[in-house]
Formats: sequence, structure tokens, C-alpha cells
Amino acid sequence: MSSNGSLLSTVSTTKVFGGLLAVSDVSIEVAPKSIVSIIGPNGAGKTTFFNMLTGLYRPTAGRILFDGHDVTGRRPDLITTAGMARTFQNIRLFSTMSALENVMVGCHARMHAGLFGSILRTPSVRREEADVTDKSREMLEYVGLKRDLHDQTAANLSYGDQRRVEIARALASDPKLLLLDEPTAGMNPQESQRLTEFMDQLRREKDLTILLIEHDMKVVMGVSEHIWVLDHGEKIAEGEPDEIRTNDRVIEAYLGKQGG
Amino acid sequence: MSTLRELRTREWTKYLLPAVVLLAAVLFPLFRPPLDGFMDDCILALAYVVMALGLNLVVGFAGLLDLGYVAFYALGAMAVGWWASDFYTGVGGAEEGIHIGVSGFAATLPGIHVNFLLIVIGATIVCAVAGAIIGLPTLRLRGDYIAIVTLAFGEIIGRIFQNGDEITLFGDYKLSNGRQSIAPVDAIDIPFLDPFDSALNLRPYYWTAFAMVLVVLFVNIRLRDSKLGRAWIALREDEVAAASMGVPLVKTKLLAYATGGAFGGISGAFLGAYFSSVNANQFQFGFSIFILAMVILGGLGSIWGVVLGAVALAFVNNRLIPDVLDQGFVGDKLKDLGLDFSFTEISFGIFGFILVIMMVLRPEGILPERRRQMELKEGIGESEAVFEARV
Amino acid sequence: MIAEFISKYGLIALLIAFPAYYGVQDLINDGNLTRIGNNLVDGLSNGAIWALVALGYTLVYGIIELINFAHGEIFMLGAFVSFALWGELGLHPDTATVSLILGLLVSLIVAMLVSGSLNVMIERVGYRPLRGAPKLAPLITAVGFSFILQNVGILWLGASQRAVPDLIHSQRELFSVFGLSVSRGDLLAVAVTIPLVLLLTSFVAQSRLGKAMRATAQDPEAAKLMGINVDTTISLTFLLGGLLAGAAGLINTLYQTSVWYFQGFTAGLIAFTAAVMGGIGNLRGAVLGGLIIGCIQQVSDNRIGNEWTPAVIFAYLVLIMVFRPQGLIGEETREAG
Repeated sequence: MSSNGSLLSTVSTTKVFGGLLAVSDVSIEVAPKSIVSIIGPNGAGKTTFFNMLTGLYRPTAGRILFDGHDVTGRRPDLITTAGMARTFQNIRLFSTMSALENVMVGCHARMHAGLFGSILRTPSVRREEADVTDKSREMLEYVGLKRDLHDQTAANLSYGDQRRVEIARALASDPKLLLLDEPTAGMNPQESQRLTEFMDQLRREKDLTILLIEHDMKVVMGVSEHIWVLDHGEKIAEGEPDEIRTNDRVIEAYLGKQGG
Repeated sequence: MSTLRELRTREWTKYLLPAVVLLAAVLFPLFRPPLDGFMDDCILALAYVVMALGLNLVVGFAGLLDLGYVAFYALGAMAVGWWASDFYTGVGGAEEGIHIGVSGFAATLPGIHVNFLLIVIGATIVCAVAGAIIGLPTLRLRGDYIAIVTLAFGEIIGRIFQNGDEITLFGDYKLSNGRQSIAPVDAIDIPFLDPFDSALNLRPYYWTAFAMVLVVLFVNIRLRDSKLGRAWIALREDEVAAASMGVPLVKTKLLAYATGGAFGGISGAFLGAYFSSVNANQFQFGFSIFILAMVILGGLGSIWGVVLGAVALAFVNNRLIPDVLDQGFVGDKLKDLGLDFSFTEISFGIFGFILVIMMVLRPEGILPERRRQMELKEGIGESEAVFEARV
Repeated sequence: MIAEFISKYGLIALLIAFPAYYGVQDLINDGNLTRIGNNLVDGLSNGAIWALVALGYTLVYGIIELINFAHGEIFMLGAFVSFALWGELGLHPDTATVSLILGLLVSLIVAMLVSGSLNVMIERVGYRPLRGAPKLAPLITAVGFSFILQNVGILWLGASQRAVPDLIHSQRELFSVFGLSVSRGDLLAVAVTIPLVLLLTSFVAQSRLGKAMRATAQDPEAAKLMGINVDTTISLTFLLGGLLAGAAGLINTLYQTSVWYFQGFTAGLIAFTAAVMGGIGNLRGAVLGGLIIGCIQQVSDNRIGNEWTPAVIFAYLVLIMVFRPQGLIGEETREAG
């Protein structure tokens, strides 16, 4: 935990690609065990911002502090080890692996089997494999994937099930902070509602903090304790749902983009 | 009566066929003369199986297209050339040499003579390190560039040994014998057994090669179903997602190169000892393609497919081409047509043809590996990374 | 930003350091730069030939992001075709100049056409069916074709180097400038290459087909939507690359007076290094890279020994790939997704 108690804070984080200023001077503070959201019109830089948090992009400027450590520019796998996990906007499961295997890969950071241990299958490695397999199955059941689908190839799963597996995979690394990139994309209202309840459940039962990127306003307003609004890479507003709902700049950013 | 029924349970019979095959493979040399052309072919095939399994680990499991695999063959072979011959006569006193773990005739020779098993360990370590070094520059590169860089390394190492008679170390010691062979290389000498003699009896070589294959198969199967094996598949399919799930890309890739390379070194050392000579002229790009063709033919990522592919191409190279095609029926017919060429001359063209045909018609190979089949045939699991994962 | 600067000028420094080292040696030993100067003159003419081959690599890579492994063999077969034609046409060093020039022009055109068509055929048969497949697949196919064609070379003219009649007396000195000797071969290499390169660059820059090529290279999907026939454009690109390689094959044969089935493999890697050094996908870069590589090759041949030259060049290739894969001029050939 950093000195001001936030689990995650970014300080003036900026990303420039060649000539394009994708994210500009964005600072946020995420309190532990909260559910918070980043919203904004398409192209506002939300996913780019996520990618900086998880280490896929190195920020051009600014810092990222997670759980008391400066993780700016750290490698993605090390950030996962530090306790940040994510899902992707376009589902990025390992499609030729089964659902179970996908989740087991998610456990990679918490496993200790090395090269020689794996070859010799020492008792501790065998135990670890069994434990990880059990834990992964539990994870899949927790997110609601039926047992008989656990060994199904990921590519053959329905869209909704694939989303579930992605969340299970992210949870597998025992994260403190879960980043969900448009988790309700492609869902109908009932499914979105279920996901919203699920996020609350996650927060309670798994002691998680959740940071969302979302477009579905109902979900955002219903579940977030705090919202940041990005437009053209800049933070144009932040606050509680009621404040954001009535914020003129926010409304203009959305209406101006879509035209209705 | 119930015991008879129990005997027919699936569990038991599942292991019956492989056990019989295994037993047959182990006992077969006893039914052949000690010096047998067919056994010679089998020994070579076994050595190539080891190489192909090594390359399969890098290309098939981890998806890193290594076109310079000959480098590991070279390093393994040179290891026996250096440490099991009189190439370094003069070390340790001109007449005495250095002897570690050798007995019999070799113990009396000048030069460096280390026991074969120790050399294998040494070759494994050297090749593992070399694999990591070769892999290091490729970490941030895309597939086609990885191919070129590994190819370049294969060529660099080959050339260094081909011209190694111009390089001297620690005084007068040449790096290699240049384009000439280092010969003779010590026979394999395993503790508690007499040293082998390839001029008299091939059986011990066969069993050594067979043991090698068993070990390498064992390592492959274990790794395939392990945490590391899953990490390789993940990084092959989607590096970005893999890294985001906590897979350390650098370490995982380097382990692939190192482990795969180590197998090549083991087989190279064996072949050097088996041929009783080491010649840098063999360290050509064509060899890398020969091994690659085995992997492609058998099935990328498929352990048993690759074994099949290696055995098949070994026999094509050693038997089909020289004996059947050149001297047999086909060769005669071609001469009747007035075409005067030797199939042996175009053996690499044949392997190139195999590569093209397989890729266009059946890229997943003869015995496909399930996931690769999905990727290659059905286009599942192809993710063009929107951005390259930072390593 | 700093990394960009260091890598660019670091590469330039590494490239210059190699000949500079020997230049300094010359100053010390001979008191002048004649030897290194001659190395560089030969290097530039060799380099002109590599530039032609490199252009073929870079054109193809720019449009479909594939290393056409067989491109070196296209070059080799262009050389073989030239050699065969000279025999058919009865050209030899004493042929009258007019007949010689006519004969060479004919062989040039034929060699170019053969190489060009071969390249197009390879794309059609081996790469097009695999356009949707993982990148691994066409790459392996390319390697396969390379081997098949090498063996065509073996079957045609055998496995050893073959001497070729020295039709233009390529080593004869034409003139000297600043004490540096420029031979007929040197002049030929440069004189044929320059117009070809200019023709190509203006074609790509100005013609409709050239614009189609550039559009497809940048964004194939958008190009298709604009009505560009991507298949034809790609075939055309392979044709152009093959034409240049065929020309390079002929020039090289005149210059070096020998042919060998293996020359495609070494030429291919040298030219590919040149293309990458300049910046893959970049035409000017390919030419620049070719010239530079030619110089490095010549200095290495002359000073270290030609058995080491491939290792030297591959070492540079590895360095470039690791530290500056975008090459000297380098640019993104495809819009980021």
C-alpha cells in the first residue's frame, strides 16, 4: 500500500506513439477493495492506459505505483507476479488449449516447478501440478463454467464462456488488482447484470480491487464507486457516478463523438 | 474364470503393444550379424531422432523457427574431436596427454582423452549455453527474423570450425582441423564394459543410441505435459497474453533453445564417436534443413510424428536414395532415358521438395499434434500481435 | 530518442570502422590509401550487383512481409541462363564488339525474363496458397524452394564452380582516378545497375502499378477496398524482383567470370543483409545497403580471407537484427494494427 493508502496510483502517466499523443498526463488513485471504472468515447486512450499499467507499453512520461512499489515500465510478467491481472478487450485466450489449460497458464507466476523438477517429476512438482489442476477447476466452476466444458478446446467455447474462462485465468494468479477491459462487450442486459453482481461477489470473497474499462453505462453507474473519464487521451472528469452523469464536459464528449 | 476376464481389462492391454515393440527394438540387434548394414542405418536413424526431437522442442513446442540447428551438431561433434582424440597432442606433456576416465588403448595415447559419458555431459552444457546465446538476439524479433538470425549463427559457427585451423588458442593449439577430419576419435567406453569398436561390432552402438533416444523421449514427454510445456504453447500462440499471465518470455524462450540445443549436442557427440571422425565440412546449412524436414514431415510439435519423420528421412537419405533410386530400378530407367545424374547429388533438393509439398498439402505433418493441426489447418489461434510484447 | 540516435550512429560507426581500420593500416604500411581505395572501388561495383538483388528482397518483403528465401537462387539461375545463352549464341572473348553487345543484350533480356517468371511462379505455387497460414508456413516453403532450385543448379552445371569465358575482359583496367584502378567489370556493374535502379524507383513512385504496390504494402485490406487487385500486384512485385535478380545474375557472371550452384545461397544472405541494413521495405535503403555490404565484403575478402567473409557478413547481420532491425534508413512498411 502506498503512503496515501491507494493500491494503485498513476502520476501524470503519458504515452506518445511517434507523433500521436495517446494518453496525456493521466493521474488516478485506486483505493483497495474498491470497484472503479475508466470510461470515455472510442479512441480515448483507455486500453492504451491499461497497457501501460500492465507493462505492455512503457510510459513515455509519468509513474505507476502499485502496492507501494514503483512498477513504471516493469515487464508484464513481473507486474502479474506483483499482483495485477487483466482480461483483454478482444478475448485473448490460448485458443488451442482447453479451458482448464488456459487457467493453469494463469497460475504460472505462482508455480515453482523448474526445468529439472518438471523432467524428473519430483514429488513436490507432482503435488503442485495436482494442486494447480484442482485450483483451476475450482476457478472455472466459480466463474460458472460447467464441468463438462473444462476440457473443451477454448476456440470451441461460446463467447460468453470464453469471457468466463478469461476471468478465471486472470483470477488464477491470485491478484490483488483485477483489470477488466470491456468485460460486458457482446453481452445482453441479463448477462451484464449477472457480471455486475459477480464483480461485487469477487470483491467480497476474493478480497479484490477491480478496475474496469466499460462502455455499458448501466454497469458503470451501477457498480463503480469512482469513475474517471478520458477523452482524446486526457482525463476530463472524475468523481462518483452521480457527478459524472451530470457533468457537462462528459456529456459533450460522448454526444459530440456519436451524434446520438 | 474371473481372473481371465480381469486379464483382458483395457489397462493391461494398453501397455502390451508398446512393450512388445520396445522389446523387439531392444533385442533386434541380437538377430543381426554384429556388422550389419541395416543396423548401421538404424543407428544413424536413432541419432537423427534425437536431433529431430531437439529441434521439435524449439520449433514445434515453442514455435521459434531455428534454421541453424547444425550449430549444435557441430559443437557436439567438436567436443569429441577435442576431448577424445589426439588432436591436442602436446597438452599435458607431449607423450602423456590427459586422460580422464578412459581405459584400454585410448589411455595410452597422447592428446586429450576423456570418457565419452563425461564428454556428453560437457557437450550438453556447452550446447545449452550456446543455445541460450544464439537465442538471446532473437528474443525481440518476429518469426522470419528469428529464422534468419539462427541461420546466420549456424553459418558463423560452421565457418569458424571450417576455418578453425587458422585460429590458434593458448599458444599453438588450433581451434579445429579446418576442412580436414579429426580422426581417429576414441571409441565409446562405458564403465564396466569394454570399449566399443565400430569396426567389429555395432551392437553396443545401437544400444547406446537407443538409450539416448529413450532418455530424450522421456525428457520431451515430461516437459510437454509440464508447466514449462504449457508456457511454450502459450508463448507460441500469443506472446502478449502469455506475458500478461505471468510467463517470463525471455527465460521461457531461452530454455527452449538451450534444451533443444542440448539434444543436438548429445547426438553430435555420439555421431562423432560412432564415425570415429569429425569433419567440419559436414557443418552445412543443408544439415539444418535435413533435420527441419524430419520435423515438418512427421508433424510439428508431435513427438511420435517427429520420431517417424526422422526414421523415414534417415532411411530415405541412407538407403532409398543411394541404393534404390540410384542403383536400383529407378536409376536404371533414368539411365535408359539418357539422364545422367545421381539422386545422391540432389538429396537436399528432395528434402526441399518435401518441405514444399508438406507445407502446401499437409502442414500439420504425418502424425499431427492436435494443437498444431488446429493452428495450421483451421487457422485457429493465429493472433497477429497488435503490439509486440516487451521482453 | 537517445536509443534511436545511438543505434543509428552506432551502426554507422561499426560499418565505417571495418574499412577504416584497414585504411589506417595502409597509411602506416604503404603511406597511402591506394589499397583500401581499390578495395572500395571493387566493393562498390560488387555492391551495385548486391543492390539489385537486395531490391528484390525488399520489394517482396515490403508487400507481403515474407523473406523470399529462394531469391538468391533466382539470381543464381539468372547467371546460369546467361552462361548457357552465351554458349548457344557462340559468344566468346574475341567476338566482335557489336555482336557481343547485341548478344549480351539478348541474354540480359532472356535472363531477366526467366528469373522474373520463375519468381512469379514460385509465388503462385508456394506462397499464395499459404497467404492465410501462420508465417511459419510460407517461410518453410521458401526454404524448400531454395533447396530445390539449388539442386536444379547442380543438375544443370554440376556441383563445382564453372569458369565462364571472360567476355568483356572484366579485369582489364579502364582508367584510373586518384591512383585507383577502375576495371571494365567495375564500370559495367555500375553502368547497368544505375539505370535499372532508376527505372525501378521511378516506376514504383510514379506508375499506376507502382502506386498499387505501395498501397498494398501499406495496407492490403484498404488496397483491396480501393479496387486494387492485390493478387496481381503481388505477382507484379515478384516479377520485378525477379527481373532485377536476373540482371544481377548476368552482370555478376560477366564480372566474376564464374558460376556455381551455391552462389545463390551466399548471394542471398549477403543481399538480404544489405536489404535489412538499409531498412527492409525501403528501396533506397536496399541500394545503400548493397553498396555498403559490397565494400565490407571486398575488404574482408582482401584482408581477412574470403573463407571468412561469410562469417563477417553474418556477424554484421546478427548485429543489425539485434540492435537496429529497422536498418539505417528504415521505416514502418505496414500501419500498426
